Amino acid sequence: MTQDRYRVAVDVGGTFMDFVLMDEATGAARVEKIPSIPDRLHEQFLNGIESLDVDIDSIQQIFHGMTVGVNALVQEKGAKVGLLTTKGFRDVLEMGRGGRKPVYNFLHQAAAPLVERYLRLEIPERMTFDGEVLTPIDLEAVDTQVDLLLARGAEAIAICFLHAYAQPAHEIAARQRILARHPHLPISMSHEIASEWREYERTSTTVLNAFIQPTVQTYLTNLETKLKYTNYTRALAIMQSSGGVVDAKTAGQKPIRTLMSGPAGGVIGAKFLCDRLGYANVICTDVGGTTYDVAIIEEGRVLERSQAEIAQRPILGSLIDVISIGAGGGSIAWLDHRGGLQVGPQSAGASPGPVCFGRGGTEPTVTDAHLTLGRLDPAYFLGGRMQLDTDGARAAIEKKIAEPLGLDLQLAAQGIVSIAETNMANAIRSKTVERGLDPREFVLLAYGGGGGLFACSVAEELEVPKVIVPNAPANFSAWGILTTDYMEDEVRTKVMPFDAAHIAGALVTMNDLETRAASGIGQYGFADGDIERVKRFDLRFENQEYTITIDLEDAWQDAASILEGARKRFVESHIRLYGHGEPDAPLELVSIRCRAIGRVRAPEIAPMPERPQGAAMRQLDVYFPRTGKAVPTDVFDRETLAAGQVVTGPAIINEWTMTTIVPPGWQSTCDTFGNLVLEPTL
Amino acid sequence: MRKVDVVLTEIIRNRLVAATEEMAKTMIRTAFNPLLYEVQDFSVTIMSATGDMWAETPGVIVFSQAFPEAVRAGMARWKGNFAEGDVLIVNDPFETGTHISDTNVYMPVFFEGELVAFCGTAAHWADVGGKNPGGWCPDTTDTFQEGLCFRHQKIVERGVKNQGLWDLIDCNVRVPEIVKGDLEAQIASCRQGCERIQSLCAKYGTETIREAMDYVIDQTDRSMRATIAALPDGEYGTSIRLDSDGVQEDGEFLVCLKVTIQGDRVHFSLNGSSPTARGPINLPAPCTKGILASSLKGILLPFDPCNAGHTKCLDFELPPESIVNPVWPAPTDSYGYVIECLMEMMFRCFLNIVPDKCPAGGYQLTGAFFSRSQSRHGKPFVMMDPMHGGNGALIDRDGATNQLTGNGDLPNTPIEITETRHPFRVELFEFAPEVAGVGKFRGGMGVRKDYRCLTDGVYASFVIENTADTTAAGFNGGTDGDHGSLTVTPVGGEPIVYNERVGSIGPFGEGTLFRVITGGGGAWGEAIERDPELVLSDVRNAFITPEDARRLYGVAIEQNGGTWSIDLQKTRELRAAA
Repeated sequence: MTQDRYRVAVDVGGTFMDFVLMDEATGAARVEKIPSIPDRLHEQFLNGIESLDVDIDSIQQIFHGMTVGVNALVQEKGAKVGLLTTKGFRDVLEMGRGGRKPVYNFLHQAAAPLVERYLRLEIPERMTFDGEVLTPIDLEAVDTQVDLLLARGAEAIAICFLHAYAQPAHEIAARQRILARHPHLPISMSHEIASEWREYERTSTTVLNAFIQPTVQTYLTNLETKLKYTNYTRALAIMQSSGGVVDAKTAGQKPIRTLMSGPAGGVIGAKFLCDRLGYANVICTDVGGTTYDVAIIEEGRVLERSQAEIAQRPILGSLIDVISIGAGGGSIAWLDHRGGLQVGPQSAGASPGPVCFGRGGTEPTVTDAHLTLGRLDPAYFLGGRMQLDTDGARAAIEKKIAEPLGLDLQLAAQGIVSIAETNMANAIRSKTVERGLDPREFVLLAYGGGGGLFACSVAEELEVPKVIVPNAPANFSAWGILTTDYMEDEVRTKVMPFDAAHIAGALVTMNDLETRAASGIGQYGFADGDIERVKRFDLRFENQEYTITIDLEDAWQDAASILEGARKRFVESHIRLYGHGEPDAPLELVSIRCRAIGRVRAPEIAPMPERPQGAAMRQLDVYFPRTGKAVPTDVFDRETLAAGQVVTGPAIINEWTMTTIVPPGWQSTCDTFGNLVLEPTL
Repeated sequence: MRKVDVVLTEIIRNRLVAATEEMAKTMIRTAFNPLLYEVQDFSVTIMSATGDMWAETPGVIVFSQAFPEAVRAGMARWKGNFAEGDVLIVNDPFETGTHISDTNVYMPVFFEGELVAFCGTAAHWADVGGKNPGGWCPDTTDTFQEGLCFRHQKIVERGVKNQGLWDLIDCNVRVPEIVKGDLEAQIASCRQGCERIQSLCAKYGTETIREAMDYVIDQTDRSMRATIAALPDGEYGTSIRLDSDGVQEDGEFLVCLKVTIQGDRVHFSLNGSSPTARGPINLPAPCTKGILASSLKGILLPFDPCNAGHTKCLDFELPPESIVNPVWPAPTDSYGYVIECLMEMMFRCFLNIVPDKCPAGGYQLTGAFFSRSQSRHGKPFVMMDPMHGGNGALIDRDGATNQLTGNGDLPNTPIEITETRHPFRVELFEFAPEVAGVGKFRGGMGVRKDYRCLTDGVYASFVIENTADTTAAGFNGGTDGDHGSLTVTPVGGEPIVYNERVGSIGPFGEGTLFRVITGGGGAWGEAIERDPELVLSDVRNAFITPEDARRLYGVAIEQNGGTWSIDLQKTRELRAAA
């Protein structure tokens, strides 16, 4: 009975690789952490699996969140890419869109093009915007230009022709021509990587894919081979930025889709957990040492967007809409030129880290402030594995912040924490407001190593009525990966009036996308009947630019009901988002999207074992803004809390990797699964 | 004054800045006009109840700098007679500072019956009536020709639309659906800001917010003063002569700037600038002051969120009834030339003071405008395409192309969007390296763009830089950037080259080819000092030929098959001989 007993998640981070082993039957999870060593990832991967100490045959599937692609990109260590463009347009990649964000910075520097001009060559060919051939492709030119690119050292080819999203025939023809002569040359085509308009963004995305593809493909191929040696031949599912998984082969061909998968695991885990707990509106916050990541679940749907940016380079594609700001435990407090107190985005990171880590850090951080306020237990940090230098932290805050501002030490320390917290609250507000959502109708889920320290204060600032701190919050992202489903996205930009005359054509395109997305999922062994489809239209008012993505309901059976239903939903969303919307104004359909989902059997969530209610371990003197001074505060060990146990603030709940603060005026209730549910009592 | 809570002060400041960011997002997401949602030719500002800037999110920096003055004019006009739910509109260039197409929409914010703040958006409308579609008319002679003028009318009064005004707009602009859509977007953005400010008031109290922002402005002022005090005292002057005012070419169109740094203040004198021009290149005073102030802020404190404190230590001396201080109803529709000149003149002055903080001279704003207002040949349209060009080189690197440094910074429009929306095909879009200034660090390159007209009855206007006296001056031995041009080739006709700006030429028919080349940036330092590796890279990337490398930079580049290398020996000889 060992067969198919477990599923395993392997989440690679900058410092650690997290392993989670989950028992399919009970939902019980076990966690391992080993150092992440960049040039020995495969070895560490296998070591980690081995350390879980289960029979390899009992592992049903392995889910993998990887950083190989994003690292190659950030370090600019990828393939030398040769780019083929439409004649007359080789400079699009270098020209970019312009428009610097810091408008007052006259010294601003845009990202250098990832492909230098001598590796960008042109092909005579041209499509019109509506997909008609204006100039047939010159295939002999493809031969000569590719020869030239190879002579100049190109190792991978990206093809991006104008309007290829409307008609990809020329890109496909070019690719076939190249493969006939160079069967092993990696080729990325823009219509496959990002079938959306805006030539610069699409070129950028295609080039980035080509840049990281050889590295990622080699990594995954070798990983699969090594897993085979250990007799693991089942699914290796790779996490995507959209929050779904694909197989290793697809990930190796379109690695660009996995680039932003880092924060996705936690959000998918949040959705899974909150579905079970019955919360439809959730603010997901992942607090690390350096960044604060925010994502939103609205009415049970994870909010997504269709464009991201890494190192000033745009990437098109569906991804979970995560905003990341430089605020975390390691964020440094400093005084700007006015003498104004600022926190972050600079971080002391893990090394040297906060002053209190005693590893040579000299700049006061948020963690130092928490320690000064008495909220971290110096003797029990990381379960007592690290001694904290309270005097050092206090001295740094005194000297660098309190003295220059003329504040007493505790007010200065509380100031540092408050500013970090309002930055966090602003990030959440920006995400909810731009969607027309009211934070007061949400719960806030806090995970990552620092989640519990800030959650209640941030919630108070936003008037969020409830905070949830899940089990093993520091490993929550890896746990989340275990709950993901297989997902394939297809999209096509095709601008047309959204009316009775055009809807039939749109539905034909939708059918085509549906077939492609579903067959992608079908390859993973899902029967057609088990594949879910999510169909979406990006709509806008005629003359507007930005679109709103509308889900189509299965109940809308015919063209007329789709026209009516989607219009109604669009206008409602527009009014909610922007306060106005004419119910009868002409609409345009811009992009057609289809997502196919192969549902992985949902894991169980383990109820917590019965045990007597735990008593406070000790008391600490802790400063809270509401008390205005340090007050005696009970400290609990989370491992000792029982289901239903209520802890009234002020209190601190400690666990191995996290501290949760229950401020005065709040109380925490441990639910039957062991989650902490915090609510204001005032 | 109570002792200020320094932490709360920062929190309030951050929340106001965040509120302007939210307002900007609402604009981008709801506007109907690509100049707003793509090009971001707008800005949003939050001001105190007395009109001091508290926070802004600029697309175009000068809009927000000039906004407080417009709001103060509105306060004077209404004698404070504002009510909750009012939305006001003003585009009188002498109150907003720019041209009549830039329409300011603002809203007084009330909390518990008390006026606590204003929030506003300034946005370039797709059309505002007037003799040329789309605005930026190069040859008007008074404001009346430029379009429909608003002076603080209540477009919404106590929450109710003033339908008469909306109808008036409807029958005075060429693309009313787009204009009204944009106006709705501006109002939505103001309402967003209003809600944010009210929730801040509810949380902290209006008095606390006022005190906090007074404190922030005071701190900012002190910091600006300290920064200025650290610069050496002195006088720095420069001038630029414009080639034409759009109406006549024989006059003199001179803009003069003298910057005097004395202790912790900066004095700007524009004495010597020409009298008000007959054509529309005049720049109203609010913007003259605004562009000098925002340039200085950008040079000295580029990353600081902007507020009224950045401008307190500045004095201005503007000659009355001049090109930089005209009075109603002088024409101002192509005000941008003087703005660009003033900004370039600021860089020229400050290059002598803080050379590591300023670029050498850059190209001047260039853009193509195409339109058709009659429906005889098809649907009327207005298409505007502001274009990037060569910016000045910096102390340690070549000048950029993909920026429009001067008047704020605007992204370009994707070709795939242009072609989908408008009856044009873009046949070429590439760098124009030949216009870049030559030096140790070269100026930014220009852009070459070919538009093929696919329909009949099209009129064109071109905003092209001033060529009498280049803005793209080189620094420290680097050469100037060259100017741009427009070439029109009708079907079967000879190409006509325009080196100066033209307004509303046409009609042109299907097949006409328009080629726009934007100007290059000024270079920094002697060409002979350019790192041969950079020259090699320019040759490899076909920005210059090996012959250029030898002639301009004294670098010998050899080509072997598909690759290039530097001949060091020959390069030494070439450079020794130079």
